[in-house]
Amino acid sequence: MIDVRGLTKVIDTGTHRVDILKGIDFSVPKGQFVAIMGSSGSGKSTLLGLVAGLDSASSGEIWLDGEEITKLPEDKLAVLRGRKIGFVFQSYQLIPTLTAEENVLLPYELVGGNGDGPARAKQLLDEVGLSDRRDHYPVQLSGGEQQRVALARAFMVRPAILLADEPTGNLDSANGRHVLDLLLSLNAQQGTTLVLVTHDQQLASHAARIITLQDGRVIEDWMKREDVMK
Amino acid sequence: MKFNRTALKIAWRESRASAGKFLFVIFAVAVGVGSLTGVRGFSQALATMLLREARTLMAADVSVRLLAVPTPEQLKVVASFDQRGAQSTRVTETLSMVSSRNAENPAFVSVKAVDPAVYPFYGAVKFDPPASLAATLTGETTAVSGDLLIRLKVGIGDSIRVGGVDFKIAAIVTGEPDRLISGPAVGPRVLLSREGLARTELIRLGSRAPQRILLKVPASIPLPQMVEELKKSFPDDQVSDYKQANQNVTRSLDFATSFLSLISLIALIVGGVGVATAMHAHLKQKMDSIAIMKSIGARSSQVVRIYVIQTLMLGLAGGILGVVIGSGVQHLFPAILQKYFQVKADIPLLPASALQGIVAGLLTTLLFTLPPLLSIQKIKPGVIFRRDMPDAKTGWRERLRDGRGAALSGLLIVVGLGALAVWLIGGASREEALRIGSIFTGGLLASLLLLAGAAWILLRLLRLFVAVTPWKLPSTLRHGIANLYRPGSQAESILTSLGIGVMFTLTVYLVQHSMLSEITAGAPPGMSNVFLLDITEEQRPRIAEMLSKQPGLEKTPELLATVSSRMVSIDGVPMENYQVNGKPRRFAGRRILTSADALPVGMTITQGTWWKHPKAGEDWVSVSDWIARALNLHIGSKIEWLAFGKPLRATVTSIHRIDPHRISSRIDFILTPQALQGLPTVYYGAVRMKPDSVAALQRTAYEQFPTVTVLNMADIIERVQEVVNQVAFVIRFISLFAILAGATILASSVAGTRFRRVREVVIFKTLGATRGRIVKIFSAEFLILGTVAGLMGSLLAIAFSMVVMKQLIKVDYRFSPLPILIAIALTALIAAAAGWLASFRILGQKPLEVLRGE
Ligand SMILES: Nc1ncnc2c1ncn2[C@@H]1O[C@H](COP(=O)(O)OP(=O)(O)OP(=O)(O)O)[C@@H](O)[C@H]1O
Ligand SMILES: [Mg+2]
Repeated sequence: MIDVRGLTKVIDTGTHRVDILKGIDFSVPKGQFVAIMGSSGSGKSTLLGLVAGLDSASSGEIWLDGEEITKLPEDKLAVLRGRKIGFVFQSYQLIPTLTAEENVLLPYELVGGNGDGPARAKQLLDEVGLSDRRDHYPVQLSGGEQQRVALARAFMVRPAILLADEPTGNLDSANGRHVLDLLLSLNAQQGTTLVLVTHDQQLASHAARIITLQDGRVIEDWMKREDVMK
Repeated sequence: MKFNRTALKIAWRESRASAGKFLFVIFAVAVGVGSLTGVRGFSQALATMLLREARTLMAADVSVRLLAVPTPEQLKVVASFDQRGAQSTRVTETLSMVSSRNAENPAFVSVKAVDPAVYPFYGAVKFDPPASLAATLTGETTAVSGDLLIRLKVGIGDSIRVGGVDFKIAAIVTGEPDRLISGPAVGPRVLLSREGLARTELIRLGSRAPQRILLKVPASIPLPQMVEELKKSFPDDQVSDYKQANQNVTRSLDFATSFLSLISLIALIVGGVGVATAMHAHLKQKMDSIAIMKSIGARSSQVVRIYVIQTLMLGLAGGILGVVIGSGVQHLFPAILQKYFQVKADIPLLPASALQGIVAGLLTTLLFTLPPLLSIQKIKPGVIFRRDMPDAKTGWRERLRDGRGAALSGLLIVVGLGALAVWLIGGASREEALRIGSIFTGGLLASLLLLAGAAWILLRLLRLFVAVTPWKLPSTLRHGIANLYRPGSQAESILTSLGIGVMFTLTVYLVQHSMLSEITAGAPPGMSNVFLLDITEEQRPRIAEMLSKQPGLEKTPELLATVSSRMVSIDGVPMENYQVNGKPRRFAGRRILTSADALPVGMTITQGTWWKHPKAGEDWVSVSDWIARALNLHIGSKIEWLAFGKPLRATVTSIHRIDPHRISSRIDFILTPQALQGLPTVYYGAVRMKPDSVAALQRTAYEQFPTVTVLNMADIIERVQEVVNQVAFVIRFISLFAILAGATILASSVAGTRFRRVREVVIFKTLGATRGRIVKIFSAEFLILGTVAGLMGSLLAIAFSMVVMKQLIKVDYRFSPLPILIAIALTALIAAAAGWLASFRILGQKPLEVLRGE
């Protein structure tokens, strides 16, 4: 499903050069739940952004569903994201001028979908427990509520891959738990491939696999027994 | 597409959230659209009215403009039309002097004599108090314009003296239907009946008496046929029907409309610049939203759609508000022009002009937002992770691509504006419109670039100055200057847009004033400044005597004998067949002949010799170099004229050139004096005298020769001055809109930095700064912006005025510092006012409110 080969990311600001990712290799089969861990500044967010095609790699390849994405032009990437990838940011990133429901519906409208969109948006909001906050704007929602809207939005187009960058980082434990439950149940129900960046040991323990980064390199790739057996 | 509705929603909600900022942008566009719609609306309303009342403008169906008293044969032709059912009447217009018992000096007026029984065939003469023409005008009464009553200190019921005869003032004339085509008003109006005119001795054989024969044509005679027949009978005169007359007026109207439209376009462009800067700032703020949308699958084109919609909304709102402003401007025009033309275009704004204004506004807005809209493409979704990242060094390849994009949008803007200009110029000739359009666009572009460059340099110099200056600047001033460099301050575009407005308004003012000072600087020494018109043969010796006794005389008076004639043939070839360089030349117009013994002062002989002892029985003529070229005349050419039915022949013996600074009239044919003997001769006098002696001469001349008109150059200059002022006022009025748009942009950008300013004010306040101190800081910022913009605009205006004066009027621009200083000060004040308008709310903020809202 996800295949990362020799991925590097270098940033050259002119005055100095930063090697953020120094050659990353791993592959994630369909339906796997992977947690990415590592200390702050180790390059987790950068990696996730690259996998989602939000940023351009310096070298290496990223294959999603049999398609190499590092050389794709911006608009092709956007379409690909719209169809295959759901992304959840640490800081929610909702469009402030759209209501909760409109935010959830947006990816569907962007791909020009016609069909059950509005109904599904309502249902998703229902599932994340926000059916009564449908018409509220992001500023009128709490952090946990915003993150749940962001989750609903990420699931809107039934993505094959869901990438989440510390989705519970800004939430208290109760809310964090709620979000995690949602992720797990969606992973279980729809067989979505789940890649989660987190600092939270407790959260990572639910994952089938934990990849640990340090200084732009993979230093550990741990898998649960039963999965290794498979 | 589904997304369109969402795009519209986002566009609308974002605009509402930034309403404060966008309102100014809308107003900036509205100002430009308003002046454009106003100009075009007025012109279209006027054109509609002209078309509807075309016959009224001429007061007839056909008019024959005569330059001399018609011959009996010609009158017979007119009479024959009358027998076929047409109606005709004669209107005589001439200049004269009138006096009253109450005023010391006689006044110079234009007399119009009509037949109250039939004139006008269409429309009506309007009086105050309202009355009919037939009831007002008899052989003994007159109606005059209001300004004459003041000039002569008389009222209704009093008498004035015209051409040596008394007339009782029966009413004030307030409107004549054919005023617009009888030319600009020269002096107050005196309306007489034809009977009244006959009592005076103003019109005599040979005297200069422009007349019109007006005809009303019955349906039984086709108009073109009648015009044709009249043209045959009046070969030297102007025959035109009401449609042509209307065309002539319309043509000048079109010209004025194109010109004023272009000036309005400048205001619109300044507004466009404002939209572009506001949009640029807005998109910068919306980077996050854009990146989020891209990261959840939005293509660039979808994001662009949102902001195109937003731009269109702004443009449309500006356009609609502009149309409202425009209809106000349209109704102002008649009031502005009232003194010169009695135009009543009280027609509401036509949908066509409203639409034109809106389209022009939308187009300009879109064109100028092109660069910021294109930059949406460059926003990467990764922005969400990292702020302000210059993602790796931009390679030359990328920079080249960016440069190409900028060049392309620049080109599109230029081409688009050029097309807009050409469209607004319109008119019959596409080539001419293209030419003017490209000159306009080129000039505007050059000034914009120049201003932007100057703004860039000045801002850097100012910063450098503050950094290295050894003086201790007041801290408010330092803070104010620092504010110019705050992120999002847009100082450069403010300076450019405000500067361009200042430049245009000031250029118009400077050119107008240099032109007027050139005119009023007075006649150069040696040139005549008083002219006497319509002197008869028997008056001539007495006039010469009277003139020689006048005090203040600076030169021997000249008396020029003139005989009007028609040219018949050259070297035996009739004028109808005469060709110059293979092309037929119909020079069969009326010709004024004059005679002289000695070569008049101010003329030089370029070929041949001036006669010393004319031979009896042989007549000689000296022709001007201009007419010699036009008619291919040379020494030895034999010319034949017909004057008052008598043939007149002369041989060219010399070609002369006139020094235009010393002789004002063009004298094309000077004959030996004996040649004109026995013909009805009218003399023109030209005198050079001290300006304060002119009134005395006018009085004396009027007492002794009431039919002689004494023209004071100063009076004519005054008229010219009035017309120039009027025209300049209209142009300035329209170009002021550009300044208004510029000031609006300043306000809009101040509103755009509102949040930053609020925080700053709050921090200042928590640190204990008083309100007065903050006011000073902000004022320093706005005043500096205004001063610099005023300075730049003034410098460019001086440069422009120099070019315009040299090219158009061939006169050197004379520098005078006062108007420029005033312009700079005014710009600074306008800038301060605009800045405060956008930020006074900020001052009232309570510190806690803002800090809690963080
Ligand atoms: N534009 C940039 N310029 C310079 N350095 C950068 C830039 N973007 C990221 N970095 C550096 O790259 C490293 C990796 O960043 P990244 O955001 O991927 O870390 P992270 O593992 O997500 O950290 P955290 O757990 O704190 O979110 C950091 O040291 C960061 O400072
Ligand atoms: Mg991170």
